[in-house]
Amino acid sequence: MAPQVELFLQQLLNGLTIGMVYALIALGYTMVYGVIQLINFAHGDVFMVGAYLALSVIWLFMSFLPGASFLVMLLAVFILSMLGAALLGGAIEKIAYKPLRHSPKLTALITSIGVSFFLQNAVMLLVGSREQGVPEVVPTTRFNLGAFSFSLIQLIIFATALSLMFFLTWFVKSTKLGKAMRASSENMDAALLMGISVNRVIRATFAIGSALAAVGGALFCMYYGSINFHDGYLAGLKAFTAAVFGGIGSIPGAMLGGILLGVFEALGAGYISSEWKDVFAFLLLGAVLLFKPSGILGENLPEKV
Amino acid sequence: MKSFFRVLGLLSAVLLFCGAGDKNEDVVYIGAAGPFTGDHAYAGVGMLQGVQMAVEDANIKGPVFGNTKVKLLSLDDQHSPAQAVLASHKFVANPDVVGVVGHFNSSCTMPTSAIYHEARLVHITPASSNPEISRQGFDTFFRVCATDDIQGPAAALFAFSKLGVRKIAIIDDRTTYGHGLAMEFEKKFRELGGEILSRDGVTQGEKDFTPLLTKIKSERPELIFFGGIYPEFSLLIKGSKKLGLESPWMGGDGVYDVVLIKLATPKFAEGTYATMLGADPRAVPEAKDFVARYEARYGEIGSFSTYGYDAANVLIEAIRRAGTKDRAAVLREVRSTKDFRGVLGLINFDEKGDVVGQSIGIYKVENGKFVFIEEAKP
Amino acid sequence: MAPRAFNNFFAKHYKKHPFFLQVFLFLFPFVFFPLIDKNIYHIDLMTNVGIYVLLAMGLNVVVGFAGLLNLGYAAFFAIGAYTYALLNIHWGISFWIGLPLAGLLSMFFGLVIGIPSMRVRGDYLAITTLGFGEIIRIAFNNLDAWTGGPNGLLGIDRPAIGPWRFSVNPTPYFYLALFLVAVTAYLLFRMSDSKIGRALVAIREDELAASCMGIPTLKVKLYAFGLSSFIAGVAGALFASKQTIITPDSFDFVLSVLILAMVVLGGMGNIWGSALGALVLGVLPEVLRGFASYRMLIFGIIVILMMSFRPQGILGGQLIRRELNSRHKEAGDAAS
Repeated sequence: MAPQVELFLQQLLNGLTIGMVYALIALGYTMVYGVIQLINFAHGDVFMVGAYLALSVIWLFMSFLPGASFLVMLLAVFILSMLGAALLGGAIEKIAYKPLRHSPKLTALITSIGVSFFLQNAVMLLVGSREQGVPEVVPTTRFNLGAFSFSLIQLIIFATALSLMFFLTWFVKSTKLGKAMRASSENMDAALLMGISVNRVIRATFAIGSALAAVGGALFCMYYGSINFHDGYLAGLKAFTAAVFGGIGSIPGAMLGGILLGVFEALGAGYISSEWKDVFAFLLLGAVLLFKPSGILGENLPEKV
Repeated sequence: MKSFFRVLGLLSAVLLFCGAGDKNEDVVYIGAAGPFTGDHAYAGVGMLQGVQMAVEDANIKGPVFGNTKVKLLSLDDQHSPAQAVLASHKFVANPDVVGVVGHFNSSCTMPTSAIYHEARLVHITPASSNPEISRQGFDTFFRVCATDDIQGPAAALFAFSKLGVRKIAIIDDRTTYGHGLAMEFEKKFRELGGEILSRDGVTQGEKDFTPLLTKIKSERPELIFFGGIYPEFSLLIKGSKKLGLESPWMGGDGVYDVVLIKLATPKFAEGTYATMLGADPRAVPEAKDFVARYEARYGEIGSFSTYGYDAANVLIEAIRRAGTKDRAAVLREVRSTKDFRGVLGLINFDEKGDVVGQSIGIYKVENGKFVFIEEAKP
Repeated sequence: MAPRAFNNFFAKHYKKHPFFLQVFLFLFPFVFFPLIDKNIYHIDLMTNVGIYVLLAMGLNVVVGFAGLLNLGYAAFFAIGAYTYALLNIHWGISFWIGLPLAGLLSMFFGLVIGIPSMRVRGDYLAITTLGFGEIIRIAFNNLDAWTGGPNGLLGIDRPAIGPWRFSVNPTPYFYLALFLVAVTAYLLFRMSDSKIGRALVAIREDELAASCMGIPTLKVKLYAFGLSSFIAGVAGALFASKQTIITPDSFDFVLSVLILAMVVLGGMGNIWGSALGALVLGVLPEVLRGFASYRMLIFGIIVILMMSFRPQGILGGQLIRRELNSRHKEAGDAAS
C-alpha cells in the first residue's frame, strides 16, 4: 500500500475509534433531549464518573482477584460502571431536573450547568486533581492487516460500541419501555393520555443514557490509560456537537454524528493542525446549524403555532 | 426608599470589611502565593509545603530576631492572573508581611512583580521560569530557579552534540511555560544547524494524540522534544509506542516527575530524556536529609519543594540579618545575599535577580527510574 | 425647607428623571468608599467587582431581557481586552480612544455571531455561543504572531489623564469602573423603558406572538447581542489596562458561567439584580478563602439551589415570576 494511503487509513482508524466513544456519549444526550428537550450539561461528567468507576473496579480486581481472566474483569468493569452511572443519572434527574419539569427551559439548562460543576469538583475533591493512571489491563496484542495495524483495545471498543448501539436500537423498537420512550419524545401529552408513566420513562431515559456514557468512559480510560476529573467537559461538549450534527433526538443520528465527528477531528488534526483540533468540532457544529439545523438525520420540524 | 435602605445595608456590610489589622509586634509574616487549589494544585502545594517547612525549621531555632517569630501567610491564586493581583494587594496592604515567595505560574508572577516593586516588597519566585520577568528590571524581584532561556538551549545542545540528532520534531502544550520552553529549544537547535521536521501544538487536557503521532511517525524524526507537563507527555509517549513510533522523547522540568514513569508505564518510558532545573534533590547526598524530613512530614516530595524551601530560607535569613520588620531593610539584606547555602548548592543573585550559576541536569529514564546523566552547560 | 415642599420637589424630579436619580442614589455613596477604607486590597477587590458588574449587566441584556442563553460571553470580554491591548502596543493608541474601539469591535463580533445564531432554536444558541467562546480562546492561544499566544500580551499602557498616568494603585481604576457602571446602568434603565426594551421582553415571553404583533424579532435580538457585546468589550479594555498583561487563560468558559451565575443569582432581567449578583459572587470567594478548594463546588450548589427554589433570583425579575406562576396554574401538574 502506498504510504499516503496507509497514513490516511491509519488516521481514519484513529478517528473511528474515538468516534465510537463520542457516539456512546452522544446517545445519552440525544435521548434525553428527545424526551424532555433538555441539554444535560452534566452528561459529560457522568461519562467521567463512569470512567472512574471503571478504574475502581480494575483496582479491586487487581488487589483481590489477580488471577481472574481479563474477559471476566472487562465484563465486571462494564456492568458495574453501567450500574453505578445509571443510579447516578437517575438520582440527578430526580433531585435536580424533575422539580423543574414545568419551569422555563432556561432554568433547567442553567441547573444542568450547576450540576456539571458540582460533579466535576466533587470528583476532584475525592480523587485529587492529578491525572490518574489506568493500569494496562487489555493485552497489547496488535493485529496487522497488510502494513497498517490496530490493537486489541480498539477492537474491543468497536465491538462493544456497535453491539450496544444495536441493542439500543432493538430496545427502542421492540420493548415496551423503548416504545414508551419513543412515544414520549414524539408527543409527551399524548403519551400521558395513553397511560404511559412519563416519570418512569424519563427516569429510565436518564439511566440508560448514563449507562451508555459509562461504557464510553470505561473504554476511554482503558484506551488512553489515564483519566482526569476535567475529561468529561471536553468529551461531553464534542459528543453534544455530534448529537446535534447527526440530528438531535435521533438515535441513529447520534451514532452517525459521533463517528463522523471522530473521523473529521482525526483527519483535521492529522492533516491540518493539531492545536486547532477542538476548533474543528465547533466549526462543524456552526456549519451544521447554519445550513441544516435539524442535523443529518433529523427531521425538519416546523414550529407549531 | 427601598433602594436607600439597600444602599445603607450594603455600605455597612462593606464597612465591616474594613479595619486594617493592627501592627502585631511579635510576628513577622512571609507571604506565599500560588495555585494551591484547582487543577495545578499538586504543583503549587508541593512548593507551599517547602515554604512551610522552612518556616517551621526557623521557628524551632527560636525567634528570628528579638521576640519576633516568623509565620506563613499563604494566599491561593488558582493560577489566575486576576486573582494573583488581588492576592498581591492583600500582601502589600498587610504591614506585617515583609516578603513574598511566589507566584508559581509566570503569567501570575509577571503582573504581581510590578505591584510588589511599587510597594518595595521583596518578591522571590521559586518556579516561574519566564525570562521576561527579570528583564523588567525590578530590584525587588528574585528568582531561585533557572530560566527557560537557559533550560531550552541546554537541552538543545545536549540533543545536538551528545545525542547527535539532526532531524527532530517539536511539540508544545500551548501554555506560557511549555510554549516558551519549546521556542527556546527550537531557536538553539536551529542555530546549531539542526532541522525541525515538524512543529506542533496540543491542548492541555487533550487525550487523543493518535492523529498527531501518526503524522509525526510518517516523518521519522530522530528525537521528539515536548515543551509541557507530564500528563500530556505520558500520553504522548504511550501513544507513540503503541503506534510503533520508536523515536526517543525529551522534555523539560515540567515532565520531570516520578508520576510520569508510572503513567507512561516503565516499559514505554524507558529511554526518555528530561531536563531539570538544578539537580534532583534525591540524587544529591547533601539533600538527603532534607528529602527524608520532608517526606516524613508531607509525603512524596514535589518538584518544587526544594525551591520553595530555599526561597523561603533566603528571605528568613535576610530578616534575621536585618533584625527588623522594615521592608526596605529586608530588601537590602536579600540583595546582599552572598553564597547562601541552599539545599541544592550555593545561591547568588545577579543584578536582574536571577540566580547565578543556574545548573541544568539531564536525566534519562533507565530501569523505570530517572537517572542523572550529566550537567548541561548552556 | 418644609418636609412637604421637599417631598414635592423630590417627587416631581423623580418622576421626570427616575432612572438618573436611582442610579445616582445607589452608586454615589460608593464614591466615598476608598476615602473611608484605605486598604488597597479592598479597593482592588471592589474594582474587580465593578468590572464584574459591567459584565453581568451586559449579559443580562441578552439572557435576562431577551431570554437568549449566551454561554460564550467571556469571548467578548476577551475581544475587548485584546483589541485595546493590540491597538495600544502596536499603534500607541491611548486608553480613552481604545475603550470605545474595543467596545465597537466586540459589538461587531457580537453581531457576526448573532446573525447565524438567531436562526437556531433557543437551546442550540447556548451551545453555539459556547462553541464561539471556545474558538476565540483557542484562537487567541494559538495565533502567536498576533496575540502573543499563551504568553499573551505585555506592556499594555495604563490610562493617562494629561501628564498623570494610572499606576498599580487600584483607586483611580475604582472610580473609572464606578463611572462606567453608572453610565451603563443609566443607559440600560433607559433602554428597558423604551420601545426596544419592551420589544425584547415581548420576544422573551412569546416570540411568535411578538412577531405577529409586528416586532422585527431578528433586528431586536441582534440589537440585544450587539449592545451586550459592546458592554463586554468596554469591560475588557478596562481589565486590560488594569492588569497590563493579558493571557488567554483569563477568558475561559468558567468565567462565562460565573457571569451567568451572577445574572441568575441577582434576578434575570433585573439591572440592579445583576449588580447584586456580581457583588456577591465577586466578594464571596475572597471571604471564603478558607474554603478555596470547595469554591467551584459551592458555586455549583448555589446555582442548583437558586434554580430550584428561587429561579427569579434574589431581587426577582418581574416577568419571570409572572411566567412561573402562570405555568403552575395551567394543568401543568397533571403529569405528576
